[in-house]
Amino acid sequence: MFSTVTIDWYVALSVLLFTIGAMGVLMRRNAIIIFMSVEMMLNSANLAFVAFARHLGDLDGQVLTFFVITVAAAEVAVGLALIVTIFRTKHSISIDELNVLKG
Amino acid sequence: MNAFGLAPLLLIFPAIGVLFNTFAGPRLIRAERKTGEMYAGWFASLMAILAFLVAVMLYFSLRAHDYHAETVRLFDWIVVPSAGFTIPWAIQVDTLSVTMMLVVTGVGSLIHIYAIGYMHGDPGFHRFFAYLNLFLFFMLILVSGSTYLMLFVGWEGVGLCSYLLIGFWFDRVNEQGKVMNADAGRKAFVVNRVGDFAMVLAMILLFWAFGSLDFGAVFGSAVDLFAHGEMVTLFGMEMTVGAVLTAVTILFLLGAAGKSAQIPFYVWLPDAMAGPTPVSALIHAATMVTAGVYLMVRSNVLLEIARQSTLDGVAGASLLGLSGPDWIALTGAATAVLAGLIAFTQFDIKKVLAYSTISQLGFMVAAAGMGAYVAAMFHLITHAFFKALLFLGSGSVIHGMEHGHHHVHEHDHEHDAHHKAEKFDPQDMRTMGGLRHKMPITFAVYMVGTLALAGIFPFAGFWSKDEILAHASTNHGSIFTAVYILLTVAAFCTAFYMGRQIKMIFFGSPRHEAAEQASESAPIMTYPLIILAALSLLGGLLNFPFFTESAYKAAKAAHSFGINLGLEHWLEHSITAFALTEEGIVHMPHTPTWMQVDVALISTILALAALALAVGVVYRKRPQTATERDPLQGTPIWWFAILPFEWFYMHTVVPAFKWSARWLAEVLDGAFWHDFVHDNIIRDLFVGFAKFSANVLDANGVDGLVNGSGRLTHAVGAVLRKTQTGYARNYALGVFLGTVILLAYFIFAS
Amino acid sequence: MGNPILFLILAVIAVGSALGMLLSRNAIYSALFLVLNFVTIAVFYLVLNAPFIAMVQITVYAGAIMVLFLFVIMLLGAERLGGVGAVRDWEWATAALLGAVLVLVFILEMVLGKGVGGTETAVFVDSSPTALGLRLFEAYVFPFELTGVLLLIAMIGVVVLGRTKKRGKHVQHSNN
Repeated sequence: MFSTVTIDWYVALSVLLFTIGAMGVLMRRNAIIIFMSVEMMLNSANLAFVAFARHLGDLDGQVLTFFVITVAAAEVAVGLALIVTIFRTKHSISIDELNVLKG
Repeated sequence: MNAFGLAPLLLIFPAIGVLFNTFAGPRLIRAERKTGEMYAGWFASLMAILAFLVAVMLYFSLRAHDYHAETVRLFDWIVVPSAGFTIPWAIQVDTLSVTMMLVVTGVGSLIHIYAIGYMHGDPGFHRFFAYLNLFLFFMLILVSGSTYLMLFVGWEGVGLCSYLLIGFWFDRVNEQGKVMNADAGRKAFVVNRVGDFAMVLAMILLFWAFGSLDFGAVFGSAVDLFAHGEMVTLFGMEMTVGAVLTAVTILFLLGAAGKSAQIPFYVWLPDAMAGPTPVSALIHAATMVTAGVYLMVRSNVLLEIARQSTLDGVAGASLLGLSGPDWIALTGAATAVLAGLIAFTQFDIKKVLAYSTISQLGFMVAAAGMGAYVAAMFHLITHAFFKALLFLGSGSVIHGMEHGHHHVHEHDHEHDAHHKAEKFDPQDMRTMGGLRHKMPITFAVYMVGTLALAGIFPFAGFWSKDEILAHASTNHGSIFTAVYILLTVAAFCTAFYMGRQIKMIFFGSPRHEAAEQASESAPIMTYPLIILAALSLLGGLLNFPFFTESAYKAAKAAHSFGINLGLEHWLEHSITAFALTEEGIVHMPHTPTWMQVDVALISTILALAALALAVGVVYRKRPQTATERDPLQGTPIWWFAILPFEWFYMHTVVPAFKWSARWLAEVLDGAFWHDFVHDNIIRDLFVGFAKFSANVLDANGVDGLVNGSGRLTHAVGAVLRKTQTGYARNYALGVFLGTVILLAYFIFAS
Repeated sequence: MGNPILFLILAVIAVGSALGMLLSRNAIYSALFLVLNFVTIAVFYLVLNAPFIAMVQITVYAGAIMVLFLFVIMLLGAERLGGVGAVRDWEWATAALLGAVLVLVFILEMVLGKGVGGTETAVFVDSSPTALGLRLFEAYVFPFELTGVLLLIAMIGVVVLGRTKKRGKHVQHSNN
């Protein structure tokens, strides 16, 4: 069972990382930490993509990873700019402060 | 030659005239009074003349067509597909309707032209001609319709025009501040409603009994049923045709009594003289009032069947032992006498003629009731000529008197402005006198009209009146005898009041300064008078009788009647009763075809005697002044003449009408219908239902549903809003939950 | 797909750094743990025959993005803003439960089911930057262009967001 590394190993690792990322999103109040958790979730997906690319002998998985990284870069740029803007008005980056949607 | 296709033009021309004078007339007259009046008046007259020409062409077409009736169908009017029932709008062209068309449009044209002069300067000039054309339109519908329904449309239409034209000067008030003209119009309209109601009932009866209102269909069906002695089912009852038709003829009599001013509805006609004189001549003397006579003649088959049923003793076919036509004849004769007597007492020049018209209409109605349909039509035609002539002549006199009054007035104005206030009635014969020198043409034609009306040989009235009298005298039966006596008395009265009238107007010396200053009317008014005078003189040629029995028999053997009995041979193609008599189905009273010398002598002598009595004895030296009492005033004859009119009418008919109207209004309509039915049944039921709806259905049902849905939403929202914490973390948790569930599903499901 | 021992070592580092990021109270530490995580994943990429992606991962993620994070953290002074315990208990518990369920689902799937199955292919595809570039510009040229537009939009967005306050001042000034 442990003689060779199969795709299942990578999927399991990917799931673990994804879950940890999700926990970060759900359990932290710091917007920056939440953001970082999201990046981690993206990375877990990337890892799965690359693993499957290797597994299937297909380059498309790597191309997708490339796109994900690009989009993530753009997202981080905009997201951090938003956080800075919010901090300017609220003087906090705790997302608990952003509860104007409360019913 | 066949011009039947032109028949619709008969209606279209007057309709164009109405539209022209309604829309273009006011502009034309506003733009330029004198030429505008010329255009408006002559256009209307032209339309009347064109309609007359169409009628003439129809006349020749009928002659070329061997007198066969033709029906020109214009369009389907009332269609009930489920019942397979259609009432077309069709023009009946037969000898009877063409006769009426010729009279209506011929006399109408002359009166139109006359009115251009008479109405000159009136502010309602164009309105007058629009109404006049409208009247022609409806009158032609009346006489040309091929069904009773079309006849009724025309009947009501001319009633409307009559109302409009009587009240033409609707804003004129008398000394008491009453709008007499408008009131007179209303009176005519309301009185006619009673007769019209009878007409509607008659039509309903006819429709129920025979399933049609078409003349041909009704007559054919009636003859069939009568000849085979079959019954008709009405209101679930078996009734004989004779009984139905007796009812119909009595109802027709009531209808005609309204329109043709017979007892008991004649009261509206004298008041109708409030209208302009051309209207009196056209509508209230020559044409509209003869509609009742036309109705009788048109329905000759029904009248003859009713008469025959009574003679045969058919069940239910009589009223108080007399047949329907007998009632018609007696009513006509009684009206002739009564109106002739009332005419003695009138001072208004037009009212004398109005009662004269009622009296002469009585002659016609009596003739129709006696089965002398040709004589009735003959008298209708000659009467149209000479009565139109007399009315237009009286209009000329009034015009002359007004002119004279204006002249005096202007003269007075210089020294005494307050003199204006003096009352002056240009229609009062007591203010006239000696006009024969001032108005020679009017005098000459008026004399012709008078002699024709009085029945002096050889004027038109002599021949037509004599034919009626001869018919009454030669037929056997108490009814005929009674009618003969009544009509002879009426003829005497006629001559007397006409003698009185011409004496008061034209002879003697002027009794008012207006009469001194009176002047002859314009040629546009006198030319139509001269034409009518010629017609009144020569009208007898229309149905010139044979002088002796042998002459008639010789002509009959040779099948060549020449000019004699022209109208009879013309009309017998429309009067189906002639053919039915030959077939022996009915027995129409026979009109003598040669002259009854004794009858003619008696009536002529009586007429001459009456004229002489009036002119030479009673009114020989009188009146001398405008305020003088009439020589007959205070005598029994005066009271006899005046009583039935004012007293009887005011004390019987009016209270009865008022009482029944009040009963209808207060008890039936007010107490029962409004108070009881409306309040107790309709209102309370409605209110109850509304309350149930509002308090129970709406409050609990509808409101419960609507408010319930609102409350439910509110309650659900109150619970669900707790999930909306506003924390992005919680929403992300939801997303994550969904993700986990979906992933689990995909994995375990595959 | 690599040596099992190497995989396990790398996996422990990756999970450990991820947990470190999650649990650190200081945002700076979290960021640094994340850098470690990213680098570890880059090594995985190398193992998985994706050298170009590994380099991009290190330059873009571990380099540019994480520098940006650190910069913002320091700029805002937001290093210490409470740890996992800062949220309410039920939130924490639910999240943990769901995470456990997710992991459990996969474990169950892999233990009870066949897993994804199969071994690595014998073929090593050419994953050089040239091959990847050709692939990118042949089959994915439209998404590539779209990504370019996305980056441009993001750039403009950031500029606009950064400018807001200045503009407001300017408007106020002009009003005076």
